[in-house]
Amino acid sequence: MLNLHAVKTQIDQMVEDQRGVQLDFQAKLNLALKEHKALAANWEMLARKIEKSKTSWLLPGLVESPDRRYGLPPRPERISVAATDGSQIFPDRHEVSSCYLINIGYILLHYGSGEKPLMSSKPTLYYKDENVYEEWGGRRMFVNRELVGLRRGLMEFSELTELSLAAQEEGHRVLALSDGTLILWSLEGKPQDFKETYLQEFMESFERLRQARIPVVGYISRPGSQDLVNALKLNLCPLEVADCDRCPWKGENQFGSAAEKIESLPADSGQGLPCGPLEGLSDAVLMRQLLKVGERTPLFKSSSKILDSYGPHYIYFFYLHVGAEIARVELPEWVAEDRELLDLVHACVFDQAEKGQGYPVTLSEAHERAVVRGADREAFYRFLGDTFVKNDIKVGISSKSLKKRHASI
Amino acid sequence: MNTSEEKKRQTPLSRFMSAEGAGKGSFPPGVGEHVGEVIESSTTELIAEACHLHGAPSFGRFIRVDAEMSIIGIVFNVFTHSVEPNRRPMAYGKTEEELRLEQPQIFELLRTEFQALVIGYLDGDSPVHIVPPQPARIHSFVHLCDDEEVRRFTGTDDYLRSILGTAKLPTDELLIAALRHTLEAHENSRAYLVRMGKELSRLLRDDYDRLSSMIRRIAQ
Repeated sequence: MLNLHAVKTQIDQMVEDQRGVQLDFQAKLNLALKEHKALAANWEMLARKIEKSKTSWLLPGLVESPDRRYGLPPRPERISVAATDGSQIFPDRHEVSSCYLINIGYILLHYGSGEKPLMSSKPTLYYKDENVYEEWGGRRMFVNRELVGLRRGLMEFSELTELSLAAQEEGHRVLALSDGTLILWSLEGKPQDFKETYLQEFMESFERLRQARIPVVGYISRPGSQDLVNALKLNLCPLEVADCDRCPWKGENQFGSAAEKIESLPADSGQGLPCGPLEGLSDAVLMRQLLKVGERTPLFKSSSKILDSYGPHYIYFFYLHVGAEIARVELPEWVAEDRELLDLVHACVFDQAEKGQGYPVTLSEAHERAVVRGADREAFYRFLGDTFVKNDIKVGISSKSLKKRHASI
Repeated sequence: MNTSEEKKRQTPLSRFMSAEGAGKGSFPPGVGEHVGEVIESSTTELIAEACHLHGAPSFGRFIRVDAEMSIIGIVFNVFTHSVEPNRRPMAYGKTEEELRLEQPQIFELLRTEFQALVIGYLDGDSPVHIVPPQPARIHSFVHLCDDEEVRRFTGTDDYLRSILGTAKLPTDELLIAALRHTLEAHENSRAYLVRMGKELSRLLRDDYDRLSSMIRRIAQ
């Protein structure tokens, strides 16, 4: 159990520290606003500098002036929005069986036609050896939470694709909404064969959507990304071409020039650097000051390394003021370059968030359909155990699991 | 008929549809189609989920529950609520038509249920005016009684006694509504009305005010 007494003093300390941060914050924000305004005149220079520089943080590709703002286009009267979400019961060695379950929620809402919506969920149980053990990079391993999470993400996306295509086949004009980022950065650092297999499946879905010209977007609520602020930071750097590895303002003898060491520096250590004054600010905070409700920023090109493997589906993004917050909307290149689809995305995503009181209604309903709560999980294992026993299959749960259920004094 | 219906149902979106609700009847229900499904059941009362939102049988209507010996009841309460206990409906400031066009999901999140008073059962074709030996089974289908069934069950005044004998219901209102439906099934027969009026005056002979108020309202 949690000793609240012991936490209390630490919370007090945290509040004390936060107070200092807030004072500093307004100054940062003012500087960022000033720098952002100045970009209107020289953004092309910055765009070139971004291309040439090597920084330890992500920089956005600038394709148009970053200070441009786009007003809300009208939504077509008839449109169908598809969304999926997933949830899982993770494999648990301490339970009756080391199987796992993925539950996908499907939502297809038709606007302007009064047609009956589709709202459903479908669970899939994985228990066979080839599902429970995976071999990647020459290592056979028991499937873990991370792998199940990745598989779930992949399934959400491929099922979203299937749902959207089926809806289109039935004569609907469709927008596909995905929960969270479309950038599979978590695949970086994984064994090559693993990365390729997952990416390939993901790209196949993208390609089918592209062929059908169904716009697909990733919606990120409360984004913490700093791509644009990073561009402003780069603009503060007096060097013509920045190279963080060889930063003359860093105590290089102290830290050497290894990139990983620079990344591991505490956040406030940037104060002494020319780019330091904007450290810690997020794009959403900045955009909250600049965008009106319904407006979006221009497109930016993400520079995540994994996107080099995306081919024609390279990911762009924009920020959108949905009223309750600034959301980040990610989309593949072929949507970004198609003005009609782009406007459709802008209008529909805003409409979705407005209908859902700040968060897209299809995504929240998909979550409601997908979610597997603690009680569901317990019922699942109880049902599993009962069925095993009825069929004379030997079951055993670990002492740890038993102890958790019936703790004695 | 069945195969063509099944064929019609197999569309590209079929595989994403949930199995539950697939067996729901059409709206409005055709002749002989069920209007609901029993979800709570006891000897004297039952609750059924209507096949369609706002599609419950009206207050005072006679219903029949599929069983070995069909159970007969009278609807005495209809309610519509959220499917999920932790999500409450909220006001949108829009008409129902606007909501159907722009917030279509909310109609999937509501359901209508109705409660019926069990007043007897059918033993073969003969009506029995006592509670059935076993309650309706959960998930049994609920049908509206047709005029013939209503006539058969309301030939005598026993159903009036069953209603009046139930303490916690809006007894008078239910009796008036049931009697009005019954009268329709008896083709507004004056003789039937007079007979039931006499039975009622016998049953309520110790409460003249109540009786006269009911008779006034039945005649309205």
